[in-house]
Amino acid sequence: MPPVANLLIGFADMRISLNVNDQTHALDVEDHESLADVLRTHLELTGTKVACGEGTCGSCTVLVDGTAVLSCLTLAVACDQAAVRTVESGGPLLERLQRAFTDDDAFQCGFCTPGQLMSAVALLERTPNPDHAEIVRAMSGNLCRCGAYEGIGLAVARAAREVE
Amino acid sequence: MAKLVKTEAVVEGRTEERWTLVEEDATPEWADGAVTGPVGRPATRLTAAARLSGAARYTSDVRLPGQLETLVLRSPHANARLVSLQLDAARAVPGVRCAIGPDDAPSFDGQPILTDRPTFAGAAVAAVAADSSAAAAAGLAALSPEWEPLGFVTDMERALERQDFLEPPSEDERGDVEAGLKAAATVIECEYLAPAQLHNSMEPHCAVADWRPDGLTMWSSTQAIYQARSQLSTVFEIDPDRVRVICEYMGGGFGSKFGCGPEGILAAELSRRCRRPVRLVFSRRDENLAAGFRTPARLSMTIGADRDGALVAIEASAVMGMGSGGWGYPILEPIKSLYACPNLHTMLLPVRQNLGPAAAFRAPGVMEGTWAFEQALDELALELQIDPLELRRRNHTATDPSDGRPYTSKRLLESYTKAAELAGWASRDELRGDGRIRRGMGCASQYWWGGGGPPAYADVRIGASAKPVLTVGLQDLGTGAITACAVVAAERLGVAVSDITVRAGDTDLAGHGPFSGGSMTLASIAPAVRAAAHHVRTQLLDLASDMFEIAASDLELVDGEVRSADGTLRRPIHDVTEKLDNAWVTGSGSRAPNPQGLAVNTFGCQIAQVAVDTLTGLVTVERIVAVHDVGRIVNPMGARSQVIGGILQGIGFALTEERVVDPTTGTVLNPGFEDYKVPTIADLPDVVCEFVGEPDPKLALGVKGLGEPPIIPTPGSIGNAIAHALGLRLREAPYTPRRVLEALEQR
Repeated sequence: MPPVANLLIGFADMRISLNVNDQTHALDVEDHESLADVLRTHLELTGTKVACGEGTCGSCTVLVDGTAVLSCLTLAVACDQAAVRTVESGGPLLERLQRAFTDDDAFQCGFCTPGQLMSAVALLERTPNPDHAEIVRAMSGNLCRCGAYEGIGLAVARAAREVE
Repeated sequence: MAKLVKTEAVVEGRTEERWTLVEEDATPEWADGAVTGPVGRPATRLTAAARLSGAARYTSDVRLPGQLETLVLRSPHANARLVSLQLDAARAVPGVRCAIGPDDAPSFDGQPILTDRPTFAGAAVAAVAADSSAAAAAGLAALSPEWEPLGFVTDMERALERQDFLEPPSEDERGDVEAGLKAAATVIECEYLAPAQLHNSMEPHCAVADWRPDGLTMWSSTQAIYQARSQLSTVFEIDPDRVRVICEYMGGGFGSKFGCGPEGILAAELSRRCRRPVRLVFSRRDENLAAGFRTPARLSMTIGADRDGALVAIEASAVMGMGSGGWGYPILEPIKSLYACPNLHTMLLPVRQNLGPAAAFRAPGVMEGTWAFEQALDELALELQIDPLELRRRNHTATDPSDGRPYTSKRLLESYTKAAELAGWASRDELRGDGRIRRGMGCASQYWWGGGGPPAYADVRIGASAKPVLTVGLQDLGTGAITACAVVAAERLGVAVSDITVRAGDTDLAGHGPFSGGSMTLASIAPAVRAAAHHVRTQLLDLASDMFEIAASDLELVDGEVRSADGTLRRPIHDVTEKLDNAWVTGSGSRAPNPQGLAVNTFGCQIAQVAVDTLTGLVTVERIVAVHDVGRIVNPMGARSQVIGGILQGIGFALTEERVVDPTTGTVLNPGFEDYKVPTIADLPDVVCEFVGEPDPKLALGVKGLGEPPIIPTPGSIGNAIAHALGLRLREAPYTPRRVLEALEQR
């Protein structure tokens, strides 16, 4: 086997503890594995989408200890002991956003939508009443090729407005 | 009763003739203009719950027991010969199940899927399937390919000099152009350069193949499950009924995902060899090197008009950079068909380059052709001092200028009037200003097909719950076609749209459905859905007639109830269906051909308002007024979203999107979102969207397509708005700050 192939196999396994959507998991992950891979492959939570794999589109956005991160660029081993929230997490704010995304037609193919929703959760948790400019700034890292941006902007504003 | 009929269909400008199976359809037509039940009222998407919860399973989410991951070795050179490849070394890597090279995969569309003579950077050379992505990566690294790089041509003009054509150049002619140009009062000449636009669907091309002794099942991110099935059946010589193609949810395609694609063939071949399910997902880089692009083009036009602006002759040619595949997209079609012009000569020159294959991209050819031609018309309007919209009105044609056929309907003139009103066109000169920020307004017309046609079939069944299940052979890209089908069925069945379950995206489920492309999906499938639902309605009314002893002709299904015409009977439909116990009432329907001898087209007009920062060169699209004539609008909510989506992709083409190829290496320099700029939420303009199309009186249900129309006029209207703002014309897109500043400096 050529030496270069040796470099790519036999990664060190590390045991991490990850709390995902209120469920704690003890996971053996390889040190190169991204959080997105671990969510999608180890935990079979495929709601988190990978559209670029290089941190440029926002599709894989999840919350780590309340902060929106690009899970394709985040090493899983760096999340040991962290609390992760994905689109599968539920909860009143996310559900409000999901209703608003439906009512404002804020998605078409839906592939970027889990990332859009999680960016919106992060925004509304930190800024419950964002103005239009704040919404645009917070959501501009989440690309949508179908171009559902009008609906996305309206839905985030609606979800902020319609606090129970 | 079923019969076979021969029909003609126009698919993205190409006429196809085919035999099609049609059933008798006794469905009454909707009265002209009548809004019936849920049709024409906003409906939220039926796919919302699945797509917003993360539960929707896309192809790249499919994970079967024992599934292998695949990586593809791609050529780093624009043209090369593979000297050596260490397939055995890759096979020796722990976890690698299979490594195949150039001689090991079947051909597809006449091209080898894996080649030792790659002719573009990104061409697939070998593939490795392994237990994990990491093992596949290790296997890929072990392949240690050695290359002999060869000379290459990526530049379109050099390819033209070498007369290296992917398809033979083609000409079209009517009247006498030479005489026409001589007689013209004014002649303008101009040349426009269109960039290569990359699709960048959010979900990359991907396939999961499960080859078993009794047949092949493939999950595919495809716009055409039935085309994928035929291709797999042909390539692997399996009976088509033993090939099942599934596309439950799909993350966009925009024209780049017809059929099963090379990824499907490769996954199937690896699954056949490994006897395990195999998944192959393209990387973003693979997408942008090997999965298609809108063809870059140089359009040259000589346009002659009389004193009043009537077009008398047009000579036009287009060089299209096809890379290594695709077909000659109808870039000259707007010049031939948008306006009346008696004398015309066009030439299409599709050149071959050492780049990946081109693919259809939302209104392929027609969008970039419209972009150039509609700006040339504004140049003519300026020359003649005629208002641009007035110039278009003066050249309006009531029949197809190519063959004189009348249109099924055409409301282009109305769309000009409406768009002008909404945009404030009359006072557009007052926008301009004389400071650092200049504003301008520009218009462009839209021409496309979109009439749909057979074959398309649908099945409806209703059981005890009174919640109908509609089955269609469609795949859901995200266009909203599934929801629109439910709206059409709900009208016949008198139930809420949300009570309908739509099953789609599986070739084992239903009769043949249309592909999702060419703006043909809804126009093709909707009449079949309505016929199937009508069949079920008729049976339900017969059952209700038996139960309530009222003639079926005096009963109707409305708002979830069976009602008698005299108002004495109002009972939930459930009262009837509950008697079915575990049985169903079923009905099927098919799509009949469109009337022959008529041209079926969609039309429209967009007016853009832009602001140009003369210090930085930054162009901002502030507002787009979009008025389209696309027949009956089934779901206004979905329709508006389609329009905005098209406009945004048009803004990308006009302002930021451009594939950049390194002339020294022949590789694409910006195959990712970091350097290839697609519009973000910050680029969204104010959109005013209206439809002037009443239901097309000559078409089944009056429905035409909407997928492509909204992208078509956007870039041209932006170009015209910039020219209006600055008083100078940019003839190369995208209009980046660099190009704007250079143009301002040269003035």
